[in-house]
Amino acid sequence: MTPKTLISPSVKWMILSLSTMTFGAGFVFPFYLIFIKEMSGNFTEFGIAFGLFTLFFTYLNRLFNSSSERYGRKAFLLAGTWGTAFLFLLFPIVSSVWQIYVLQIALGTFGAMQKTSKAFIADMTEGNQRGELIGRYHFGGSLFSGAAVIVGGVLIDFFTLDLIFYLGSFVVFFSGLMLIPVKESRVTS
Amino acid sequence: MRKRFWVGGILLYSAALTASVLIWLSASEPLIASDVNRLMSGRVHGIVSVKTTADIAAALDKAKKKNLKIAISGARHSQGGHSFYDGAIILDMTKYNQILQLDPVNKIIRVQSGATWGDIQEHIHPHGLSIRVMQSSNIFTIGGSISANVHGRDLHEGLLIDTIESFRLMISDGRIIQVSRTENAEWFPLVIGGYGLFGVVLDADIRLTDDQTYVERTIPLSVEQFPDYFIEHVKDNPDVRLTVARLSTAPSSFLQEMYLMNYEKTALPLPTNSPALEEERAVELTKFLFNLSRKFDWGKNVTWSLQKRLFASETGTIVSRNIAMRPEIQFLEYRDVQRTDILQEYFVPLDRFVPFVVGLGELVLENRLNLVNITVRYVPKNEEALLSYAREESFAIVLLFNHKRSPREISHIERATQEMVDLALQHGGTYYLTYQLFPTDAQLNAAYPKAISFFVLKKKLDPDLLFMNEFYARYAR
Repeated sequence: MTPKTLISPSVKWMILSLSTMTFGAGFVFPFYLIFIKEMSGNFTEFGIAFGLFTLFFTYLNRLFNSSSERYGRKAFLLAGTWGTAFLFLLFPIVSSVWQIYVLQIALGTFGAMQKTSKAFIADMTEGNQRGELIGRYHFGGSLFSGAAVIVGGVLIDFFTLDLIFYLGSFVVFFSGLMLIPVKESRVTS
Repeated sequence: MRKRFWVGGILLYSAALTASVLIWLSASEPLIASDVNRLMSGRVHGIVSVKTTADIAAALDKAKKKNLKIAISGARHSQGGHSFYDGAIILDMTKYNQILQLDPVNKIIRVQSGATWGDIQEHIHPHGLSIRVMQSSNIFTIGGSISANVHGRDLHEGLLIDTIESFRLMISDGRIIQVSRTENAEWFPLVIGGYGLFGVVLDADIRLTDDQTYVERTIPLSVEQFPDYFIEHVKDNPDVRLTVARLSTAPSSFLQEMYLMNYEKTALPLPTNSPALEEERAVELTKFLFNLSRKFDWGKNVTWSLQKRLFASETGTIVSRNIAMRPEIQFLEYRDVQRTDILQEYFVPLDRFVPFVVGLGELVLENRLNLVNITVRYVPKNEEALLSYAREESFAIVLLFNHKRSPREISHIERATQEMVDLALQHGGTYYLTYQLFPTDAQLNAAYPKAISFFVLKKKLDPDLLFMNEFYARYAR
């Protein structure tokens, strides 16, 4: 076990940011599937929309992770987080399937950018810290998103699905702000 | 750089958030036309926001040149595609809403068809005048109300058709004709209650009445007591003006408890400084209660007992007719992706009310329908419109169901509706055409024996079928 004092504030803030991001996105995610189904007239269009996301996410994941070596991981992480926040703002106002396709591609792209977070954590922590650290902080985030999904469902029933996108967007944007105190560094071990 | 970067990010995000919300609020589902409850929708050629008569003429011209259809929409609260048609040009009449002229001596107002009852109320209230017949809410347009030949809560007035003196109509060849009981009289019973299939109503002359002072009175009754009480104490009582009854949908008193709300004439004068018309109060609270009723049986119990207490406490309240005719409706606004509110209205002869309600209860339970709200009003016999639903003096029973929008669930309620229509027909009643297209052709013809001649006359007066909607497409042969 690693004593807590060894965790730098940068790491703390970054993992907090990631947990908040998980929370915000986790809040939106299950309902966003219903939204896509609603917008697309049939399961074919739903499949295309969802497949586009996965394809771009997977392909760009590789690209971004390798280029983050050169340009810095924080830039990618922030771009991915804020990009997602901006995209969520578009969901309530789109009206046709092709717009959904475009959004899905963009969402896959920004999602892939965020995945530099893993390498980022690895950079900033020592081998024996990582597992416990990530586990500890993500525990809180995931617990909250579980509760948030339940609350989200009730909110949608009483208001609209669109509200969830706005709430989610705000939380995700806020998680980006939590990256302010994060300084990029590499622990070499 | 650092600080400026983050502040810039926050500002940019705030701007984007504001823009998104503004766009979202003003979005009006472009090119997808639907009813307010999104039960039916269609991809249309375009939506023309009509502001002048020339706009209408231009749209008709364009439709003829491009071989398109015209559908006419107002507040879009019909639920059977009466206000749109696949691939058609939709005339959105809501901005064509000028009050043209008020004759306070003869109590007649001339308004453009996109004006709402609310617009008229605001205009005539300072003159001490009031509307004779309108729906229980004032958000509907005059054109839409004429097309559905609506009825209201005033016992001593008939249907809307009774209060219409005349109107101007733009017909398929582009001409504007004046229609009244004496001029172009054959159009009168077709256009009123004709769902926009004969032309575009431009403006109408509507007869008004005096604003009066009423006192509210609430009478709790059982379903069995209601018809006799109504016939003995209400129907021919000249003092009772507006009346509406509510039937419980709460499991604890399902289709057993009722209360009747009367607005009775008093000798008290109108408040001298005729207060401004009130806006809706406590919309959010009512909306919340209504949502509880949609969702939960206990919500229905709570709402029913609150309603009873609230209305009982209002007994003795003095209101003007104009205030009484501005009831709340905003709380009914409902946007759920998966479910929708389904409205239906049945008309049954007064002496068939009890057996109809008993049969209705069985059908609702058998089909496990989520029945949220029921109101009962009185409709006198009136057969002036060709598609008249009031072939006999009746009770008009409005049902509000909350139902899933999935195709399977819709076909479930379609079958259940056909059973309810059969029930109404068995009791010598009818159903209202303004709602879903669920009833079969045979049911339509049984409830509206003149439907066949209505469709024949439509083809005669609009041979190219320029004016078109989903209702016509579904039933016309």
